[in-house]
Amino acid sequence: MGIQQLSRLRVVALGAVAAAVVPLAACGGGSGSSAGNGGKTTLRLVWWGNEDRAKATKSAIELFQKKHPNVTVQTEFSAYDAYFQKLSTQLAGGGAPDIVQIDRPNFGDYARRHVLKDLTPYVGKTIHTNDIDPKLLAAGKVQGQLYALPGGQLTQSLVYDPAAWKKAGVNPPPASGWTWDEFTATMKKLGASGTPGTTDFGWAIDWFEVWLAQQGKQTYTPDGKLGFTEADLAQFWGTLADLRKSKAVSAPSATTKMDGSMPNSAYVNGQAASEINYDSSLTAYITAKPGTAAAPLPSANGKTGMSALPTVTWGLTNRSKNADVAAQLIDFLVNDPEAGKILGATRGLPPNQSVRQSVAGSVSGPSKAVFDYESSVASLVTTEAPVWPVGSAEIKRNFQQVYDDVIFGKTSVQAGAKRVVDDAHQSLGG
Amino acid sequence: MSTQTVAQPSVESRSPAPPAPKSRRTERSAYLFLAPWLVGALVLTIGPMLASLFLSFTDYDLFTSPHWVGLANYRQMFTADQSFRSSAAVTGKFVLLSVPLKLALALAVALLLNRPRRGQGIYRSLFYAPSLLGASVAVALVWRVLFSDKGTVDRLLSAVGIHTGGWISNPDYALLTLVALAVWQFGAPMVIFLAGLKQIPRDLYDAAAVDGAGRIRTFWSVTVPMLTPVLFFNLVLESIHAFQSFTSAFIVSGGRGGPSDSTLFYTLYLYQRGFADFRMGYAAAMAWVLLVVIAVLTALIFRSSRSWVHYAGDDQ
Repeated sequence: MGIQQLSRLRVVALGAVAAAVVPLAACGGGSGSSAGNGGKTTLRLVWWGNEDRAKATKSAIELFQKKHPNVTVQTEFSAYDAYFQKLSTQLAGGGAPDIVQIDRPNFGDYARRHVLKDLTPYVGKTIHTNDIDPKLLAAGKVQGQLYALPGGQLTQSLVYDPAAWKKAGVNPPPASGWTWDEFTATMKKLGASGTPGTTDFGWAIDWFEVWLAQQGKQTYTPDGKLGFTEADLAQFWGTLADLRKSKAVSAPSATTKMDGSMPNSAYVNGQAASEINYDSSLTAYITAKPGTAAAPLPSANGKTGMSALPTVTWGLTNRSKNADVAAQLIDFLVNDPEAGKILGATRGLPPNQSVRQSVAGSVSGPSKAVFDYESSVASLVTTEAPVWPVGSAEIKRNFQQVYDDVIFGKTSVQAGAKRVVDDAHQSLGG
Repeated sequence: MSTQTVAQPSVESRSPAPPAPKSRRTERSAYLFLAPWLVGALVLTIGPMLASLFLSFTDYDLFTSPHWVGLANYRQMFTADQSFRSSAAVTGKFVLLSVPLKLALALAVALLLNRPRRGQGIYRSLFYAPSLLGASVAVALVWRVLFSDKGTVDRLLSAVGIHTGGWISNPDYALLTLVALAVWQFGAPMVIFLAGLKQIPRDLYDAAAVDGAGRIRTFWSVTVPMLTPVLFFNLVLESIHAFQSFTSAFIVSGGRGGPSDSTLFYTLYLYQRGFADFRMGYAAAMAWVLLVVIAVLTALIFRSSRSWVHYAGDDQ
C-alpha cells in the first residue's frame, strides 16, 4: 500500500473537514444590526416559543413596521432547547441581535455579565413603565437598574383534560384550590385508570420552588445564595418517588423529555392526564390538545406557592447599534394597545395593566382561557418569588440532569439531592 | 541573483549540481504557494488553539474579560465534577463500541464489494451514501424519529411482541442507537479498505491456493496481514473521529445528553459548559484535556502498530 495514496486520502479527509467547518465559521460572522441605506434602520429580534406565539409576534412586528416605515425588523424564531446556546454563540461572536427574549434562569447571567443594556435612561422617554406592576418590573431589575421589560405575566398552573378525567370517573380540581392529599388521591385514581395522573414534576427547579414557598422557603435568598438544603430537596423528590410507584406520576421515559415545550410534553403525548406548567403555555396546550383546562396547584400550610412572574423579558443588547429604535420596539411590544390585542395571551397576560384590561374585554379563543384562569386564581397568587442570580441557568440544567439519574435509578434520592446542592454552591460561588 | 541564473540557463541544464541561488528561489516560491495554507493554519488553527489554552486558565464567560484562575478549572474537573466523569465514560464507551463495529462492518462490505460482479459501481455508491449524509442534522433527526417512543422501530418490534418503548428515552439503549448511527456510516473506511484490497498482489492468493489454503485461511494469512497498514490508518482516523462526535448526540437528545446522561458525550458537555453555563474557560480546559487524551491514545496506537502492522516488503 503506497504511502502516497494514504496521504492523498488524508488530504481528501482534511478537505472534507475543512468544507464542513468553514460554513460553521461563516455562520458566526453574520452581521448584526446596521443603519442601512437611505436612513433605513434594520433591527434584529430573536425569541423562542410555540407556534401560536410565533404567529402573533410576527403580526405585531408587521404592525410596528407599518407604523415605522423606515425600520425593518428581522426576526429569528427558534425552539427553546437551542435558543440560549445559539444566542450565546452569536453574542460572543459579535453578531448579536438588538432585541432578545430572555427567561428567568438566564436573566441574572445576561444582566450581570453586561450583555444587556441598562434601560433606566430610556424610562419615561422611549420606554414607559407607569402601567406595569412594580412587582413584575422588579424581575427585570438588578441593583435598582432596569435591564429588561416583562413581555407578559404568568403564574403556575395544572393543565388537564376535563373529558379524560370525567371518563376516568375523577372529579375536576376545585377552582378554589385543593390540598396535597386531595391532589395525590386524584392522581393515584387517574393512574389506576390507565394513564398516569400527572407529569412527574420533579424535573424542574421551578416546581420545586413552588413547593419550597409552601414550606416558607425559597430557591435563592435575596443576596443570591442558595435558599434550600439537601434535606428539602430529598423530601420533595422522596414524595415523588412514592407517587411514581403508584403510577400517580409519569414514567421516567416520558419525564426525561420534559422541557416545557409542546412536542416534548408528556401530557400532550398522552403519557399523563395532567401537567404542571406556567399558564403562559395554556394557549399552546389548547392548540395542541383542544379542550385543555387549567387548575390551581395544591397548597400546603395555607399557601399555594404560586407567584406572578414575567413570562419572558425583553432586553436590549449592549452591542446594538440602533438602541434608540430598538427601545421603541420594546416599548411597542409591551405597551401598545394594538400590539397587545394581537399578542393576546401568547406570553401570558399583557404586562401593561391598561392594555390588559382593554384586551380582557375583547379576548377570545385560547387566550381567553388564560385571562379566565388568571382571574380565577388571583387571590391564590401571593408568593413573591426571588430574582434568580448568576449561575441559576447552570443550576436549573444540572437539577434536571440529576433528576434523570434519580428517576432511572442511577442514583438515590439522597445522593441526588446532595449532588444538586453541592453543585449549586459551586455554581453560585464562581 | 535572479538575473544571473536567468542569464546562464545553458550552464544550469548541463551541470547536475544544484546552484544555491536557484534553490533559494524555489524555496521562496514554495513558501509563496504554501502561504494560503500557512496563513490559514496560523490564523484559523494555531492562533485560536493558543487562545483557548490561555482561556483554560481563566474564568472567561463569553461576555466579560477573562480573569486568571490558574489550575482551578482543571482541579474542579478532576475532583468535583460528576458530569465530567460521566461524560468521559460515555465517550469512552462510545469509542470502544463504535470503532471496532464500524471497522468490522466496513471491512466485511469491502470484501463483498471486492469480488467482481455486475453493477458493482452502483453497490459501492449505495453503501457509501449514508456516509455522505452522515454528519448531517437531517439524518440525526430521522434517527430520533425512528427510535423514539411509538417510533418506527418501536412499532415494528411491538408488532412481533417485543415491547421496548422508545430507545432514545431509555438510558440503557440510547447510546446504542448513536453507536448504530455511527456504524451505519461506514462508507469512508470501507472505501479505504477497498483500495487496500485492490493493492494486495494477486500472486499471493494464487500461491495460497496452490498451497491448498481455504478461504478462511487465505483471509487470515494473506488478506489480513496485507491489509494491516490500511487497518491501522482507519483505526487512527476513526478513533479520533469517534472521540469528537457531537452532532448525533446533540440532535437526538435535544442538546441535553439525556436520558440520565446516557448520551452526554464529552463534546456535548463541553458545549453545555461553554454556551449554556457561560463557563467558556472551563470548556476550553475540557477541550485541552480531550486533545491530550486523543494525542496520547493515538501515540499508543502508533507504538502498538510496530507489533501488528505488516508492511509488504519488510520481511521479504
